[in-house]
Amino acid sequence: MHPTPGYHGRYLRIDLSIGIAKSVSLEASFLRKYLGGSGLGVALLMKEGAAMVDPLSPEAAIAFVFSPLVGSPLTTSAKFAVVSKSPLTQRINDSLASSGFALTGKKTGNDAIVLVGRASRPSIVLIENDQVRLEPAEDLMGCSNPETQEKLRSRLGSDFQIATIGPAGERLVRFSTISHDGRHAGRGGSGAVLGSKNIKAIAVRGTQRVQWSDQSALVRLAKELSEKSFGPATAKYRELGTASNLLTFNRLNVLPTRNFQQGSFHGATAISSEELGVVRNRTRASCAACTIGCEHLYSLKSGVPVRLEYESLFALGSLCGIDDSEIVLVASQRCDAAGLDTISSGGTIGFAMECAERGLIDAPWLRFGDGNALLRALDLIVSGKGLGQLLAMGSRAMAMEIGCDSIEFAPQVKGLELPGYDPRGLQMMALGFAVGSRGADHNRSGAYEVDFSEAVDRRNVGPESAHLAVESEDRAALMDSLILCKFLRGVFGDLFQESAEILRLVTGWNLTATELRETALRIVTEKKRFNILAGWTPSEDTLPKRMLQTAIPEDARASLSTDRLASLIKAYNLARGWSEEGWLPESETGAGAL
Amino acid sequence: MTVELFGIPRLRAGVSQSIADGSTLGEILLDLARRFPSLGEDCIDGCTLKAGYIANLSGERFVTDPETELNEGDIVLLMSLDAGG
Repeated sequence: MHPTPGYHGRYLRIDLSIGIAKSVSLEASFLRKYLGGSGLGVALLMKEGAAMVDPLSPEAAIAFVFSPLVGSPLTTSAKFAVVSKSPLTQRINDSLASSGFALTGKKTGNDAIVLVGRASRPSIVLIENDQVRLEPAEDLMGCSNPETQEKLRSRLGSDFQIATIGPAGERLVRFSTISHDGRHAGRGGSGAVLGSKNIKAIAVRGTQRVQWSDQSALVRLAKELSEKSFGPATAKYRELGTASNLLTFNRLNVLPTRNFQQGSFHGATAISSEELGVVRNRTRASCAACTIGCEHLYSLKSGVPVRLEYESLFALGSLCGIDDSEIVLVASQRCDAAGLDTISSGGTIGFAMECAERGLIDAPWLRFGDGNALLRALDLIVSGKGLGQLLAMGSRAMAMEIGCDSIEFAPQVKGLELPGYDPRGLQMMALGFAVGSRGADHNRSGAYEVDFSEAVDRRNVGPESAHLAVESEDRAALMDSLILCKFLRGVFGDLFQESAEILRLVTGWNLTATELRETALRIVTEKKRFNILAGWTPSEDTLPKRMLQTAIPEDARASLSTDRLASLIKAYNLARGWSEEGWLPESETGAGAL
Repeated sequence: MTVELFGIPRLRAGVSQSIADGSTLGEILLDLARRFPSLGEDCIDGCTLKAGYIANLSGERFVTDPETELNEGDIVLLMSLDAGG
């Protein structure tokens, strides 16, 4: 029987402990329920029973998941999801990356690659169509991501696409990444999961293509979508990149500064993309099969170009009080090379800077605004020496170790460090952070879009608006499972309706917008189910006490009380069809009932 | 009225701040389009902002209605709509 168009109808399951790879069928009905990417990934992890095991144990599973749209002519569709239990949060983690690994990985003839077990020695997983083998990787240990990828391209040939971990993943840093071609499955520590399996890299090569249900119509639609992607909805990403958020956020006093002690930064202009664009060479790059081209690279003084996103800029800049753009770029480059999530790196170091200034840790060298201290802290995280051992655990675990109520100003939700949005001044986003399945997260909830609109008063959001956070999460769940880049979201009039048409042309399924809304809800719910199995309780759907007890100093109206956040969360849960506390209908008595 | 520009509006106008005449948001936008033709062409449609852009009054509230009346001392912020990244 032929697989559903857009899919191979199977995934590859590799047990690294015993060195056996198995092809496992995926029923069309299962694929239709979870689509691909994040949705299919969490469903596969549930099949593996991954919620209840230590994410760094051999029993843990990690899934590299493609999607029905990968390989199609649709712009921004060359993406893959990495899904596992997070060693940083102990909850579900799905991180997305893009380009050749997605295209070629799918050409191996699989809709996903699932790794379980642990290799007996440092290894590379080589997948070439139906052939799978492990090769030793001792010679690559300690190599940076670019070095590893370069060495493997030389060894294997340029037609292999390679995902790697850097030294941070090898050392099981809880916020280490998986890198491909300079981009990262960045959040939540998937690099440590791969590192715990003794896997330095996965290399893929293949020749198997899927069919499209209506190829000629799909090509026409793809052309229309590409044309729309050149329009005003993506102009900011294309012409300025995400880094241009910095000055806007600074003006609105929602730019996290000095570990969220302030909402604006005196050095914002010095590190802004506008200033960087004047004093440094700037070049642009794109993911494979993307017409937007959001990546902006700025040259170091040495001339080496460095990718810079807003999240890296705020985390390694204002959050640590750094106003030296050269330091921010060098720090960003070091994170990329070592495989560190820039948000969690900056968040944890900024937290440590405040702890040091309060005398809670013995690190007199670690001060806000000291660029050399930032770089030294990053190096310690990667080497695991001295304070690096503590930093490598992330801010929540670090606070638990330090005590002295430092957890109250550790900038995290569920252990994941907050991205660059002060939730006191962006309160729809505050709700999104609090209830997010993978923690404080701007990618699985884009609720900040509501804050940046007339729909709410961003500093006084009420429970009547909670459904807007639900809508934002559902849209993200759909886009992360199709997969399409969220920077494309502005070109859709009705995302669910238009996605149904896209999927019809790809798969032949007669989908409706209503069914896709149900699919999005199913995916969000499955993540919640995973978390409940992993030990979630309602008390973790919250924000750090600092956010609930103090206003942003520059803006007295930007305050969010514990009670109001609780009312937002309750309204969100009810809008989802869950209990007031957030239990699923079948789990009213708690996780044990599942 | 003082206008501060961010993101693409700043890029198109070539300035971070300007003065515009008018007592409503629509009048301000019309005047800005006259002063900065590139801004007008890409970001402004008559007396409203095109999709992808939004205005904010003094950091206090986001507005789109061209009839929105402005008070003395208001600062109009023009910015790209989406955040993210």
